[in-house]
Amino acid sequence: MRGELKELWKYRELLLTFVVRELRIRYKNSALGFFWSILNPLVTVLVMTLVFKYVMGQQVPNYSAYVLAAYLPYMFFQLSLMDSSQSILQQISLLKKIYFPREILPIGSVLANFTHFILAMSVFFAYLLFVWIMNPGESPFRATVVWLPMLMLMQLALTLGLALIISALNTFYEDVKYIVSVGLYLLFFLSPIVYFVEQVYNAPGIPDEHRGTVYFIYNLNPIAMLMTAYRKVMLDPQPIVMTRDGKTHDAGVLPLDPVLMTICAVTCFGTLIFGYYLFNKKKWQFVERP
Amino acid sequence: MNESAIRVRDLCKEFIVSHSGYASLKGALLWWRNRHRERLQALKNVSLDVRPGECVAIVGRNGAGKSTLLSILARVYKPTSGEIALSGRVAPLLELGAGFHPDLTGSENVVFNGVVLGLTRKQVAERMEEIVAFSEIGDYIDAPVRTYSSGMLLRLGFSVAVHVDASILLVDEALAVGDLEFQRKCLQRISEFKQSGGAILFVSHDMAAVREAADRAIWMHKGAIVNEGATEDVVAEYENSS
Repeated sequence: MRGELKELWKYRELLLTFVVRELRIRYKNSALGFFWSILNPLVTVLVMTLVFKYVMGQQVPNYSAYVLAAYLPYMFFQLSLMDSSQSILQQISLLKKIYFPREILPIGSVLANFTHFILAMSVFFAYLLFVWIMNPGESPFRATVVWLPMLMLMQLALTLGLALIISALNTFYEDVKYIVSVGLYLLFFLSPIVYFVEQVYNAPGIPDEHRGTVYFIYNLNPIAMLMTAYRKVMLDPQPIVMTRDGKTHDAGVLPLDPVLMTICAVTCFGTLIFGYYLFNKKKWQFVERP
Repeated sequence: MNESAIRVRDLCKEFIVSHSGYASLKGALLWWRNRHRERLQALKNVSLDVRPGECVAIVGRNGAGKSTLLSILARVYKPTSGEIALSGRVAPLLELGAGFHPDLTGSENVVFNGVVLGLTRKQVAERMEEIVAFSEIGDYIDAPVRTYSSGMLLRLGFSVAVHVDASILLVDEALAVGDLEFQRKCLQRISEFKQSGGAILFVSHDMAAVREAADRAIWMHKGAIVNEGATEDVVAEYENSS
């Protein structure tokens, strides 16, 4: 694998060119260009806020901020996997003509989306600043935000690893991309994006003696863990008020569990290593699939 | 210089052929049904040398393995067995601007293609003017390539390939680019390339082009070399065989 990495490093210029090209292509023929990257999550979160706050009765102050803090990273994950699943097949005619490290295609798709993610996060901080100015109180910026780059790195590793696996498998079995899109749809609901992890822990349907186990299993999903971590690192702890057995009670705030966080980190980087290994094992067969 | 620019020894390539289109998950799940997959011996013990400054043509009927050989030299396929050694940068001529993105402008595509062929972005920028001038695209270089004619695509692709300082050029049936004037320019460029020590391996069905450009010819049939030698002899023998 060291040899493959060395080869990839030799072609870093091509990787950069490819990322720039992806970014150029995406909004080449649209009038609003990059603003679609921002507009899309903003409109989505606006609708989610309306539905969950006013229809479903989610009682969290500044709810949109909590949704955005998880939805923006989730969008990065989703778009990266969708793009990279097609990345090899779309360029197969080029692959049949010339050599370059094939992993440049899925990695480039992910990095292009990562660039958008970073820009979206800066817009998110601008939004927090705006809310704060309109509504001065406590500063919305927390000191723990220094952990944000670490979280983004973990998510990047996880996304790269899955992108490598998916792009390699989808080249042989096009069923993979359908499985991925269903999986992403389900994952959205299995991760704390429109709700909070405290609500999972205090869910009325779970018997008290199993709460710890359910919570642990729920958080083995690295995306669920990352979404919670993004919120806790960037935003104030949110007081969750829940209704159980006809009584309201304060569900409290759960701390970010270091053990679960470590498991998440191991999963993320492990996925990257496994994905890179699998991709390199398969990459010479792309052009001669039967 | 006795060192070969291209050196191929006992090269074999085997493909697995499937008659049911491309693979699917269904195919993988039903693997026991098609265990008897057909194997195709595309190249059988091919050995050849191309010296620097030499232009070698490969002739032969369809399915002779000519393009497979070129693809292996371009490192697209991994050989099943045998060895290849290439000295210096290899530039495969991409047919009809393969790798061009229709929505990007000519110059944006030149940057991408140049970098794919091994230049840095800076080097491409330095050569941009030369590449555009050679391709005769003119002001259209800033228009999206979807508006280009096929001749313009070929000219731009050819122009990039000959400006990357490769020492080996692989040409697959693409010499007939553009009008007569441009073809003359290409041939001139190729002879300059040869004089500066570049090696060319090309595949063509156009025997007039082979006679004009090649110093030596190799006749392949069904994955093996039948004969090689002076262009005139080999081409005549090939033409008489059919």
